[in-house]
Amino acid sequence: MKDRIEHVPLGRIDYVAALAAQRCAHACRSRGEIRDLVLTAEHDPVLTVGRSGSLDDLLVSPEQLREEGIPVHRVERGGGITYHGPGQLVVYPILDLKERGLDLRRYVRLLEDAMLATARAFGVRARRDERRPGAWVGSRKLASVGIHVRRWVTLHGFALNVDARRDHFAMIRPCGEAIEIVSLSDLTVRTPSMLEAERAALDALSAALGDPIEEGEASWLAATSH
Amino acid sequence: MVDVRLPDLGEVDEVRLVAWCVAVGETVEAGAELVEVETEKATFVVEAEIAGRLVEACFAAGEPVPADAVLGRIEVHEG
Repeated sequence: MKDRIEHVPLGRIDYVAALAAQRCAHACRSRGEIRDLVLTAEHDPVLTVGRSGSLDDLLVSPEQLREEGIPVHRVERGGGITYHGPGQLVVYPILDLKERGLDLRRYVRLLEDAMLATARAFGVRARRDERRPGAWVGSRKLASVGIHVRRWVTLHGFALNVDARRDHFAMIRPCGEAIEIVSLSDLTVRTPSMLEAERAALDALSAALGDPIEEGEASWLAATSH
Repeated sequence: MVDVRLPDLGEVDEVRLVAWCVAVGETVEAGAELVEVETEKATFVVEAEIAGRLVEACFAAGEPVPADAVLGRIEVHEG
């Protein structure tokens, strides 16, 4: 085991607030002030557009989005447009890839491994698609990945549909493709709670990284709040 | 003159250049963010290995870049 990883549960949180927390953590980690950590969150409904995304993949009008109260944010992660919202677990590892001996490709595959193992914990057999990173059940997408790396420290991460709103996903062409979305709740007899999904995802990520993930005190927040 | 190249990103043959963080003609410090690239679902910021002036950008935003290509050139500060 190399090092303990701190878990910071953000709970139900606005996307922009969570992004600010990620950037704070990333800045501290880049300066070597804190160890690797993992943030988990569940967002209010939001659409985000990655670096290769386009608003052409938005299937509803800006007026409709305003009526629904769903904001759209351009972000630095890789990939296209995606949706986050209630019933979806989002995992943001803030890791120094150099220290862990990981490169970009290996890290994306490691996140895929963690997503597949999380699904397995609920008896769901998901698979990877070599051409389209993520976790798939048949042709349906269960989880998405999108990351950003600067100073070899990661931002963003993966999103797993636990019991997500299908009608909200219908507002977009995820990653520019006509993809059907699926949730764990569609594939299990009993819908896992968000807490169960979070525990399973952290266990899977811990196994993939080979280090324990433990509850932390978010000392980096205090360090950056002044 | 120092070539700007991608670090080893793993099994990556080609990336897409997202944007230059500095314009040709501008100076950079060593370690400054120079150019952002994207491969499948991942964006990566390349830093300047050395202080100097970016004198050439060999690829423009949106263009595909082979993983072993020279992205640009930095003229090293004298003295």
